[in-house]
Amino acid sequence: MSKEKLYSIKKTDKETLAKWFKLMLVGRAIDDRAPNYLKQAIGWSYHAPYAGHDGIQLAIGQVFEREHDHLFPYYRDMLTAHSAGMSAEELILNGISRDADVAGGGRHMSNHFAKPAWNIHNVSSCTGNHALHAVGVARAIKKYKVPGVAISSQGESSVSEGYVYEAINGASNEKLPVIFVIQDNGYGISVPKADQTANRKVANNFTGFKNLKIFHCNGKDVFDSMNTMHEAKEYVAKHEHPVIVQANCVRIHSHSNSDRHDLYRDDYELNYVHAYDPLAKFRRLLLRYDRFTEAEIEALENEAKDIVKAAHKVGMNSPNPTPDSIHEFVIPEPYVSEKYPEGLHNHEGEPKKLIEGLNETLKAEFRHNPDTFIWGQDVAHKEKGGIFNVTKGMQQEFGKDRVFNGPIAEDFIMGTANGMSRFNEKLRIVVEGAEFADYFWPAMEQFVETTHEYWRTKGQFSPNVTVRLASGGYIGGGLYHSQTIESSLAPLPGVRIVYPSYADDAAGLLRTSMRSRGLTLFLEPKALYNAPKVATPIPDDFEVPFGKARIRREGSDLSIITYGNTTPMCVELAEKFSKEGTASLEVLDLRSLSPLDTDAVVATAKKTGKVLVVHEDKVFGGFGGELVAQINELAFEYLDGPVRRVGSTFTPVGFNRILESAILPDLERIEAAATDLLNY
Amino acid sequence: MNKTALIYSFNTKKTGKIAERIKEEMGDDNLHVLNAEEITEESFLSFDQFILGVPTWFDGELPNYWDEFVPALEDMDLKGKRFALFGLGDQKGYPENFLDGMGIMAEILEGQGAGLVGFTSTEGYEFESSRAARGDQFAGLAIDYENQGSMNKERVKAWVEGLKKEFS
Repeated sequence: MSKEKLYSIKKTDKETLAKWFKLMLVGRAIDDRAPNYLKQAIGWSYHAPYAGHDGIQLAIGQVFEREHDHLFPYYRDMLTAHSAGMSAEELILNGISRDADVAGGGRHMSNHFAKPAWNIHNVSSCTGNHALHAVGVARAIKKYKVPGVAISSQGESSVSEGYVYEAINGASNEKLPVIFVIQDNGYGISVPKADQTANRKVANNFTGFKNLKIFHCNGKDVFDSMNTMHEAKEYVAKHEHPVIVQANCVRIHSHSNSDRHDLYRDDYELNYVHAYDPLAKFRRLLLRYDRFTEAEIEALENEAKDIVKAAHKVGMNSPNPTPDSIHEFVIPEPYVSEKYPEGLHNHEGEPKKLIEGLNETLKAEFRHNPDTFIWGQDVAHKEKGGIFNVTKGMQQEFGKDRVFNGPIAEDFIMGTANGMSRFNEKLRIVVEGAEFADYFWPAMEQFVETTHEYWRTKGQFSPNVTVRLASGGYIGGGLYHSQTIESSLAPLPGVRIVYPSYADDAAGLLRTSMRSRGLTLFLEPKALYNAPKVATPIPDDFEVPFGKARIRREGSDLSIITYGNTTPMCVELAEKFSKEGTASLEVLDLRSLSPLDTDAVVATAKKTGKVLVVHEDKVFGGFGGELVAQINELAFEYLDGPVRRVGSTFTPVGFNRILESAILPDLERIEAAATDLLNY
Repeated sequence: MNKTALIYSFNTKKTGKIAERIKEEMGDDNLHVLNAEEITEESFLSFDQFILGVPTWFDGELPNYWDEFVPALEDMDLKGKRFALFGLGDQKGYPENFLDGMGIMAEILEGQGAGLVGFTSTEGYEFESSRAARGDQFAGLAIDYENQGSMNKERVKAWVEGLKKEFS
């Protein structure tokens, strides 16, 4: 409001004022009209009205430069999206979820406006979750030394989420070009902000953070918002560190169309939020200071009405997505290996340990592709290279820009991987998602989020990320150090899950993961990192395609289908039975759980007629249940006995070695089950 | 006393009541009462002494009617003019922004060369921060209807008595 400010009602040129006013009028007309689509059963079943946030949303969109900035709007950011360039037609197509919706063809909830082609990102409904994505892409902006800022826009209540704290902490620590815009309307649905945090202005919770400037502005006022966003952007460019802009707004309407604010707001409040209406205020200013005549304003209002009317017409004539499109864009096509199409080799040479296979492949891929990055807890500090030393020597060779530690915040590690991969298609990111696989749970919302991206954007954004996790037990580690997680994650579409057992397969699958587009969960049997029994010769360029199981030992009497830590146990049993002349066992190592090599599973079931599924995970609810179901559906007529399962007990994994042994499957239990099934 | 303007929004209840009380206490024919929602630059500048009613809205903002007048104020030369402000705030509900509206107005007026009178002690109030606070004084009369309404009468009376001496 002071004279030095760039924008004011008296100084700003008339053309700019007209542009802003028209954007605000069109936005508000759609905002007001959106509930009608639901009433008429056309769509827009989720609508979070933005009225009362007009000033700051106009400003966010106006400072956004699509050539090099990245915008992460939240579900109330209709005017932000419009001001950033999305047309009225695009807003309506998103609202009524038509196939032509540029956010993702109606796959994501209405009112989630996005245009990935312009870096207006398609974000989660998990409120504030995209703050980590903004930090991730800002990390790329900094590392590649290009101009640009990431703008994370969100409501004040979203700051209660732990991951928002992680995002702001990370941006502050790494000095990243991020503008966190907190649109404060005082409510998280019906929950008043007093129930969220002690400070009425939540941005003030962060006053102790280094490298962080906090701005406050009146989000209901166009000029204060424009000046503040302009200043914030300049500040980021000049000081090369993040800022928070807290914008005071009001929510004139209910949270959404499933909320009734008259149940928790009194008449006084409902009146005063209307009195604050930013659009009405802007109109009054235009007239009061003689910038526009009433006739000129009416002309702009009529123009806006015509724009919305025309956009509505286009929207109504636009087709819905077709049911048969649902299987498109679940996950990108992977890298195709021409030399090793089956993921097999006849290489002879010195056997290498599994950990060597991983370490050497990581290094080889980092040499092959300069746009590769790896981070995680503990991955790079002097001679230390990961909790198990899988990344040993990488920072020394590839530098701190590409190989670096993350804070002890699994969600941050995962979320910034998602975000950084938005920078461009070339990037390939590897993260150690947690020190141990069963520490990964705090990252789960970001992991789940990342599995949605490709489908939700209709193939416009592919998170090209490999998540490495040291998995399983047999090390006396107990809870959070010895459990498996694959059965909880395998039901998620949008991620590949691999779980090799031998050094060559680990190397080959890692190479394929790092050359592929999309998300891959790479589970490593940590008990086998240094085990001589899984050491193998590894061709330097070995590749293993996803979804290709490997017969580790041919047999004819009974098939054991397995993966991970239990594969070498099954091979050992097969060798024992062979030596003893007891039976001929076939051991099928799945290598990939998703996609699953169903053909190989069915083929071995048909071949031997008896199948034993063995895995380290619990029998109850374990991945083996899916295998048994598929065999029943596809090979039932070929079976000479029930498909049996061996796995861990339905208990957590105990720390004491006696407890661990009682819980996890071992050779003895596998042998007993195999013998029983052979005798069936 | 010189021609003095008492300006506040006629659509307000609490601010209006305080303004009425001030008017009674002032008891001066030279006091001209104007509606802040209709004030023009010309009428504003025709006065040399002012009493402005500035409640704080929401988390520390000027009410719209004053906020929309700020662009006009920022172009005015207010040297030689004297202003007394009375503000309304809620020290318990909004302790971080108690009377910020009055503080913002005071800063704007001072920036244009105006003189402020009618400062009051911060003693007897409990709040975390206020843009209206200048050390141990507020830049005007501090009214808290929500929490100290019973003290309004006494506070207005004492303030007006002081004003009469400060206004010429």
